[in-house]
Amino acid sequence: MLLLLAAFAEQAGQWRHGYELMKETGLTSGTLYPLLMRMTGQGLVEAEWRAPVRTGRPARHVYRLTAGGIAFARAALGDKARLPAEAALA
Amino acid sequence: MSVGLARAVMALAAATLGQSRRDWALAMEGELEAAIDAGRPLAFAAGCLVAAWRDMPRQAEGRFLLASHMLALGMIVPMAALQFACAAGLAVPVPAAGGLGGPAAANAVQQAYLSAAYRAAEPVLLGLWLWLCLLQLRLAWLLLERDWPRMIRTGAMAAAVTAALVIFDGVMLLADPRTMLQAAALSIELAAVAASSQWHARLTGAAAPGGSAATP
Repeated sequence: MLLLLAAFAEQAGQWRHGYELMKETGLTSGTLYPLLMRMTGQGLVEAEWRAPVRTGRPARHVYRLTAGGIAFARAALGDKARLPAEAALA
Repeated sequence: MSVGLARAVMALAAATLGQSRRDWALAMEGELEAAIDAGRPLAFAAGCLVAAWRDMPRQAEGRFLLASHMLALGMIVPMAALQFACAAGLAVPVPAAGGLGGPAAANAVQQAYLSAAYRAAEPVLLGLWLWLCLLQLRLAWLLLERDWPRMIRTGAMAAAVTAALVIFDGVMLLADPRTMLQAAALSIELAAVAASSQWHARLTGAAAPGGSAATP
């Protein structure tokens, strides 16, 4: 979970694709998705659908930390996290 | 080849996640295209299947799916195997068969008379046991499909075949303990299926068809 928080914290406020998060953290999809489901359920991460860039492709989910997620990441990662103020997401 | 397999694995993962996690299944399917582009579709899809399995006990629908698979694979399919074994046991010549012509045959004359009758009845009994075996397998399949109306009909048919076996036993003075065991096991099985039907009805907010699978 810390790995994922750190990956989100790298570009906090930016929407990220699941596969991109996998590559960045080195987590497998079997680990990443349960984490994303749990963090979304806890209100730490928010998800949104994005229209496909190429025709014929399915829509993709993107994720980013919520304000609560940023606060949690700041507490969990300490000074290592380069996180914006929660208000920046508002 | 691996892309096709990955899509099949992903479809299994989506089915495992169920309706309550439909968005997550679609999200995984969306990312599969990225995994295909990266040349690792199978590893990605397998991971999604693992994620779906890990999520199952956390969701009411997942718990229901787990329970119905346990009922189908842990109880109904072994019962079908038992019925097949019973049918295979009937293939043994009658005098050697444990249940047939046992305590009911009091003397040699009766024994000879009954043995001929048992041999004549063997094909019918064999057919009934095999039919019961097939009905049990169908019951397991329908349970996993959650096809309650057909399951009620199949359960009723299995109960009727079991009743026919019990009557046959009584008429032929067989006193075969396997038939009684089958009747008891089928009752338990149908009660479990009826409970599953009620559970599924509560999950989906719909009324269970026919009220109970055990009492069609």
